Amino acid sequence: MEITFNNRDPVYLQVVRYFKEQIAIGNLTAGQEISSRRELAGLLKINPNTAQKAYKEMEEQGLITTERNFPSRITTDEKILNSVREELILEAVSSFIASVRPINVPLEELIKMVSEKYSQPEE
Amino acid sequence: MIEVKNLTKKYGRRRVLENVSFTAEKGQITCLIGINGVGKTTTLKAIMGLTPYKSGTILIDDEPLTKTSYEKITFIPDAAIMPPSMTIRDAFEFMKDFYGSWNSARAEELLAFFKLKEEFRIAELSKGNIAKINLLMGLAIDVDYLLMDEPFSGIDIFSREQIADVFTSHLIEDRGVIITTHEINDIEHLIDKVILLDNGSVLKEFYTEEMRSEHGKSVIDVMREVYRA
Amino acid sequence: MNRFIKLLNFEINRFSKIYAALLAIIIVLQFIGVIVESNSYVQGADRMMMENRWTQEELIKNNGKAGFTLIMDSFWFAGPIAIAAAALIFYIFLIWYREWYGKNTFIYRLLMLPVSRYSIYFAKASAIFLMVLGLVGIQILLLPLENELFEAIVPADFRDVLAVKDLIHSNIITSTLIPATFTQFVLHYLAGLMAVFTLFTAILMERSYRLKGILLGIVYCAAVLAFFISPLIIPAVLDMGDFFYPVEFLVLEIILGLIASACSIVIGQKLLNKKVSV
Repeated sequence: MEITFNNRDPVYLQVVRYFKEQIAIGNLTAGQEISSRRELAGLLKINPNTAQKAYKEMEEQGLITTERNFPSRITTDEKILNSVREELILEAVSSFIASVRPINVPLEELIKMVSEKYSQPEE
Repeated sequence: MIEVKNLTKKYGRRRVLENVSFTAEKGQITCLIGINGVGKTTTLKAIMGLTPYKSGTILIDDEPLTKTSYEKITFIPDAAIMPPSMTIRDAFEFMKDFYGSWNSARAEELLAFFKLKEEFRIAELSKGNIAKINLLMGLAIDVDYLLMDEPFSGIDIFSREQIADVFTSHLIEDRGVIITTHEINDIEHLIDKVILLDNGSVLKEFYTEEMRSEHGKSVIDVMREVYRA
Repeated sequence: MNRFIKLLNFEINRFSKIYAALLAIIIVLQFIGVIVESNSYVQGADRMMMENRWTQEELIKNNGKAGFTLIMDSFWFAGPIAIAAAALIFYIFLIWYREWYGKNTFIYRLLMLPVSRYSIYFAKASAIFLMVLGLVGIQILLLPLENELFEAIVPADFRDVLAVKDLIHSNIITSTLIPATFTQFVLHYLAGLMAVFTLFTAILMERSYRLKGILLGIVYCAAVLAFFISPLIIPAVLDMGDFFYPVEFLVLEIILGLIASACSIVIGQKLLNKKVSV
């Protein structure tokens, strides 16, 4: 597991986002067991309390579920899992739009460029 | 909790610490940051009863330091503290003789974790290995609080990683850790709390995650603001 | 095992190699001395008898008989004792300073032991005291052996036979180390202990106040010395002659020694507990 954290956003939110990405691309699937807080702290080299906070946040958002004395698992709630994917896509699209809007490109031209670029293999 | 209240210390006429107050909680990693010579090490020594101070109160879990506190709190300086002629095994024997809480099993576990051998002689250890042995001995006494002076400076990167690994592993459990450093870069994500010291005074005390959430600032951002002010 | 005993054991172990070397120096040099001095006496006697055409009786009449004191008064005997004494006096300082200086700062560990700092202090003092007693004990054991060797080399007709006890009392060094009476024995070793405690306090003053502490330490040592020898000085200055009976003098000295020791211990403890800095 490799994440490059930035130092200005809360680390626990960056961890949550990392999990969302993993869910969205299917690396983490419904009901899958995930590492303990301590293991995660070790893997990501972050403070164990921060890892704990990230898990708490994910529990609150319904991304993971934890039963007493058992390892946490990714939720099996399809609605939440699907919304994660949507959320990430929407977020990316919004930030793309925010950066492109000041240039005043006509929508058609923009869509054409996006579809061309998107179908090219990544460099 | 370690509570430092209005700690003041002088060397002759020079004030080394002036009204230093802060707290360090159990289960958290608190970091004393400041450029060299601002009184970080002296503060740790004062907490441990290793240097006298003029005034102020220091409480460890609501009690002043006594000889039995040394089973609960330990200080790890950035140099070897066992006699050079000892092997690691001798050093373990010595510790076992004096500390009721010495945990041999944990000492062995850590020795393996750090890939060190009992027959190594203290005199032959590199600076990185000395830091590891010092940390090992602190953890094997089973203390509640570990005070470490510059655990990450002047040692090789692999030793640094191993020591950082201890901080994130089960080995640290819910101990309270205070470390001093003049370089925050590598450990920004390891620490809970920052105490910024300058000229023997506390300039700022904050939790790193709170600082990021509420102000969008990294530790270095805060240091820049404070020291340039 | 009690933690004080463990500390004491640790202190003695740390000095054991140098201590063993000191013992070796004493044993080797003194035995060489016995051989060299005895032979040179025998050769000297032979030569004188030859040169002067003396008989044995004439030689003894003119030169007197040889005694083992001949050897005890030589450098071979006193030299190694002086070396050992110097080493131990040096070690009174080293036993503290080695904790601070050198690559490894053991004083951190020592002061962070969950034991009373009294134990640390007394372990060091006791280690030195025991090492002194050990050397004296070895010397007592060596004397009869050296005497045997002397008797083996010098023919019986040429020598006086003295009991070991008398040999001890005939020499200034050995009679100081092993005095004739119990009271004197107490006084000598008490004075020794007092000196150790006083130096310890001076060292701890330096460790607490650095440069100022050195001055303080010197003044303190001088004050203790003046206090201890005041029963000698005051009557002399006031021209009172032998003011005290010898027994009174001894008892008085013992009391002063006890007071000075107690004072040094209390100050030393205060410094070690509150003032000393790593």
